[in-house]
Parts: sequence; C-alpha cells; structure tokens
Amino acid sequence: MTTALLSLAALLLGGAWMAAVMDRLAVAWISGRPAARAFVEPLARAAGLLLRQPVTTERPDATGRVLAPALYLALAAIGLSVVPVAEGVVLTDLSTGIVLWGACEALTVVVVFLHGWSANAPLPLIGAYRYVAIALPTLLLSMFVLIAAALPAESLSVTAIVDSQREVWNVVRQPPGLVLFLMLGLALTFRGPFDYADPEDLAGGTAAETSGPARAAWQAARLCMLVAVAGMASAVFLGGPLGPWLPGPLWLVLKMVAVLALLVAATHLLARLPPSRMLTALWVVLLPAAFLDLVLVGVELLL
Amino acid sequence: MAVSLLARLAAAAPAPVFAVAGIDGLRAVERLALDPRVELVASPRHAAILLVAGEIRPEDRADLYRLHDQMPHPRATVWWASEPLFAGIPVGPHGFPAGDLADLHRALAARAMDSDPDILPDEPPNPWRGKGDYGQGGEGMMGGTPYGRPMAMTADDLRDGLALDAYSATFGPFLPAFPPGLVLDLTLQGDVIQSAEVLRPPYLQHELRGPAAYLRRAARLVRLLGLPAVAERLRRRPEGCGALARTGVFAAIPAGLGRLGGYDVRDRLRAWCEERTPPPLPEEARLAPLLPGLEWHAAVLVINSFTDAELRSLCGAREVAA
Amino acid sequence: MDDLLAILAAGGAALAVSLPLLLMGRRAFPTTAPQQGPFLGGGVPQTHAWQRYHARWYAMTLVFIAFEMEMMFMYPWAVVFVAEGMKAMVEMGMFLAILSLGILYGWREGVFRWQ
Repeated sequence: MTTALLSLAALLLGGAWMAAVMDRLAVAWISGRPAARAFVEPLARAAGLLLRQPVTTERPDATGRVLAPALYLALAAIGLSVVPVAEGVVLTDLSTGIVLWGACEALTVVVVFLHGWSANAPLPLIGAYRYVAIALPTLLLSMFVLIAAALPAESLSVTAIVDSQREVWNVVRQPPGLVLFLMLGLALTFRGPFDYADPEDLAGGTAAETSGPARAAWQAARLCMLVAVAGMASAVFLGGPLGPWLPGPLWLVLKMVAVLALLVAATHLLARLPPSRMLTALWVVLLPAAFLDLVLVGVELLL
Repeated sequence: MAVSLLARLAAAAPAPVFAVAGIDGLRAVERLALDPRVELVASPRHAAILLVAGEIRPEDRADLYRLHDQMPHPRATVWWASEPLFAGIPVGPHGFPAGDLADLHRALAARAMDSDPDILPDEPPNPWRGKGDYGQGGEGMMGGTPYGRPMAMTADDLRDGLALDAYSATFGPFLPAFPPGLVLDLTLQGDVIQSAEVLRPPYLQHELRGPAAYLRRAARLVRLLGLPAVAERLRRRPEGCGALARTGVFAAIPAGLGRLGGYDVRDRLRAWCEERTPPPLPEEARLAPLLPGLEWHAAVLVINSFTDAELRSLCGAREVAA
Repeated sequence: MDDLLAILAAGGAALAVSLPLLLMGRRAFPTTAPQQGPFLGGGVPQTHAWQRYHARWYAMTLVFIAFEMEMMFMYPWAVVFVAEGMKAMVEMGMFLAILSLGILYGWREGVFRWQ
C-alpha cells in the first residue's frame, strides 16, 4: 500500500507540473510567444500566488470557500487511486472501481459549484450554475462509455478492465469511447471548449474572487484532476501499464503524457459553444453517440 | 528563509497585471499583452500590479478606487501616460512599462517595498452591526440590510414569466469582458439580462486603419470564445484568419445574434477576418435595446462585435473617433 | 476494509496537503471592508449575490435523474452481459430505446434550451 500511495502522489504531482508545462508550451507554439521558461514558469507562478493575500469576500460561505479546492484535490486523488500503476500495484483495488470513479466525477460537480457559490459574488455564481448545467449530461456520457469498456472485462474493476486488454486495447475496439471520455475530462477540469465554470467572459468565473494561496490550490487541483482523467483514460482505453519491452509504470506514464497532450491541444484549439447550444449538443448528439458506442461493443461481443 | 526562496522562484514568472485602459489607452495595453514579461489577468484578485494606461474620466474615479482596493496585498500601481490619482509609479506616454512591471513584481514578492494601502475607508457598504433581531442588520425575513446589503427581491422573468429574484448592479467601467469605460446598469435573472441601461459610453480610442485593425477586433472576440492563444497568434502574425474556421469560432456564435444593419455577430467577425468593413450601423441604433433577453455570454459577444467608434455611437456618445 | 483505508489515505493525504495552503496568509493580511466587495469591473451591486437563482435548465435535471437511475441498473448488467448474451442485449436495447424517445420528446418541448 505504501508503494501504491507514493506512486499515486508522484503521478499526481509530477503529472500536474507536466500538464502545466505542456499548457505553456502549447500556448507558446500556437501564439508564437517565446517559451524560454516554460519548465519553471508553473512553479514560479505558484510561488508568486503563495506570497499574496487570500482575500475573503463579503459575507462568504467561509467553510465552503476553504473546503471546495481541498475536496476537489481529494476527488482527483481518490479517482486516480483505482488506476493500476503496474501489474499488482494499485492503491484501491475495488471490484467496483469504475463506480468509485463515477462517484468522484459526480462529486466534482458539487465541489465546483460550491467554489462558485461560496464567494457570494455574481460572476462566480453565474459560472457555478452554468457549470452544473453542462457537467450533469457530460457525466452521463462518461458513465456510458465506461460501462461499454467494462462489458468485455465482465467486471467493474479497473484492474480487470486493464487485464481484458491484453490482446487488443479498448481504443481499437471502441474508439468513440475514448473521444467521449476525453470530453468529460475537459468538462471536469473546465478547460477550453468546456470551460463553463471559469471563463474569461466572467472574469475567471468561479475563481474570479479567489486570490493568493487559495487560487494556487484551485489551479493545482484542476491540473491534478486532469492528470486523474489522463490516468483513467490510459487504463480503460489504452491498456494502462500493459505493453512490451518497457516496464509497466513507464508505459502508463507514456500513455498518460500522450492523453494529456491531446487534452491540452483541445483546450487551446477549440472554441467554446454558448452554454445553451452545448446543452442541446450534449443531449441530442453526444449522448446518442454514447448509446451507439455501447450497442456496437455489445454486438461485437455477441458475434 | 522560505519566503525568500519563494520570492526568488516567483521572480521567474511574468508579472500578473490588471490593466485598466483609459482614454486612448487600449492600443498600448494590447501591445503590452504581447510582452512575455507581463501577464494580463482577468480579475484584480489575480493581480499584483494595477496598471492604468491613459486618462480616466472624473466620474470613473470612485470605480478605480474600488477596484484598486480589491487587489490582494502586496500590491502596487503604475500610471502609464496618466495623471496619478493616488500613489504609484508614473511612466511617460513614450515609455514602455514591461520592464518596470517585472521589476516591481520582483520587489513586491521579495517584500522590498511597502504594499499600497486601501484608498477607501474600512466601512461596510451599509451600517448593519447591532441592528435587527439578531444583530445581523436585517428586518423580518428579507428586509433591512443583513450584513451590509439588502437581499435580492422577486420580479417577473422575460423568457418564462417565473417570478424569481432579480439581481441589479452596475457593471464596468473596467470589466475585462467589456470595452474599457463602458458602464452598464444591468438587471439579471439567473444569467439572462432583463433590462439594460448605458450609464457611460466606452472611452474614446484612437482608431487604427489597415489589416492590423481588423485582426485586433477579431482577436478580442476570439479570446472571449475561449481561445486566448489563437487570439494572440492573430495579433502576432498578421497572416489573416485562414485557420480560424477550423477552431469552430464561427459555429460557436449563434446565427442572428446581435443583428444590426443586416449583419450579425458572426457576419461581423467574418468580415473582419476577410479585412472588409461591415456595412455602417443605422444612425438611430442603440446598444441598450439589443441586450435584454440575452444570456450573459451572448451579451458579451454582442458588445465586443463592434469597433470602439461604433460602440460609442451605439451608446449615444457625440464624439466617436479620435 | 483495505479498500476503504486506501480511499481514506488518498483523500486524507490530499486534504493534508491542500488545507494548510488554503488557510495560510490570512493572519499576515486581514481583509478590510473595501477589499471584500464583489468584482464587477469597478461597479457596485445593489444586493447580495445569493438569491433564488433562475436556473434556466431545471427541466433538464429531471431527464438527468431518469438516466442516472438507469445507470444503477447498468452496473450489474455490465458484469453479466457476456454470460447472459442476447437476452441482456435486447433488454437493455429496449430500455435505451424508451429513454431515447424521452430525449426526443424533451428536445421537442425545448427542455435542453436556456428557457
């Protein structure tokens, strides 16, 4: 358990730094600004935030204000804990692993809402409500594709789902599943085309009133959740630590970096729809697509 | 020890600056945004330095004081081509403050200088302490000023007629989603605007001409659609908007939104991308009637789909271009 | 039991790292009244932000609950799917078809718009 806990911490912290660096590199590459300090900059920004004052807003929900970023990070850690790091090394080897992950997803919506609500300020409040509307149907997407991934494994355990991919990875058998799951990843961390919680038109949305160390914690938790999503996507669709020649943990890290790269690219290259349009698209286009994914996997298994 | 280590590390980050553009200050701020030593942030809560570029109208001074006081300590102010209204470092109209801002950020992190004190008195918006049954400042269920402010009250909604709470506030003049100087008195239900009134028009800005001017306007809209990196590319490499369609910006703007003079927001963005000038707006067109019924994001897109001069004329300002 | 302990360890470690961060710096700089006001670009609100908020998507949440309940049936179904074969397929196909009709009806009624 100690090994698993330590590797979980290393994955989360290293991955969050890595994701932040990739963000800087992507911005530099797309915008044409120099990227000289991309590797230090995330740490330097965090250090700057730690040195500034955490401003409390007017009559906030003080408990919620403190708890929201902390719980968000805890959900990322618990979610990632069901992902096997190597064969036999997994912190939480639940027979219902994807149910635990699903619970973390659902509670993330609550926590992000709490962050926006607790400030008692209008722009964070709008961000919070808008986020709930988009995140709820996105949760459905992810659960359908995860259940589709559980069908061939005949188990809800993430370890068993990884084992079921010894012959062929799920991404080959059910490619739409990975795409839909990555959309969930963007929605859980409210990035780019799914940034309905903290967008620029709301001056930072739920985080518009968050300053100093609290903001550092919020940003770090977002990055950790992104890493957790990358870990889950690697395990469920890319065979997790399975792979020839290289040791298992290295395979997992490589796959997670590849997934992170996809997520970061989507963040900076795709425009955001107005919330009402996105809501319709989620229910009328993407959810039926998730049904179809499930049916295709089922038919393939019966043939 | 730990603090000095953090301060040394923090010096490697770009200076987080909340920029307030005054009269003819927008172009300077947009130029500054391209400098890697500076990061322009969306909220004063995220900033260490307040930058005021250009003169501020006398009626906006109280708003500037409020905004200054909302910044977290340690904080400082820089006045660029602007008469200082309170303490801060002045920079002349021909200077370029990126280096000064980076130095200032370093000094603030190292605690080598004092933080700006508040300008406004340390008093709640309304007296409340000791009033009411529980000393919370309220009367009965919803009345009075609990903890310094009244509670929102119900009103009928424009879209579905439900009588839920209406939230009224003045937004601007320095809201980053609005052009600088624009002050709107808005009543919202949820995130849909119920009524809008223009209190002050945006600041007079020097109008650029040529391709760079079109791209600059397009970049502002693209940024608000969640693509800051693509927007910056438009400004850095004026190669046109060829790759823009692939990011889905046109699909992300609802058809018919903010239609005036035959062009909607999407048409105006497309025209700017093709370096065309959209047809002139009808003389009597006004901004305030366009906004009620729009959701916040859509309203922000509409407001940013006009040039500075057009928006001034939509707000009924007499002088429209410098 | 081990699993519960593992979940507590992961969550507890995350809280132990982040809570000190969220409480630091408060004593060094107490917040004053003018600092507390909500950010509106300089403008002032008339009231507190907390309100009976007009969520435009309330009807959608009812459809969401229907699907969320369905998910509970799907977890055990996923485990026995291969063993049960065609029977499980047809059963879930019917269930999904009925729910899809619900989506279509909701769409026609404008449930997924910002009403």
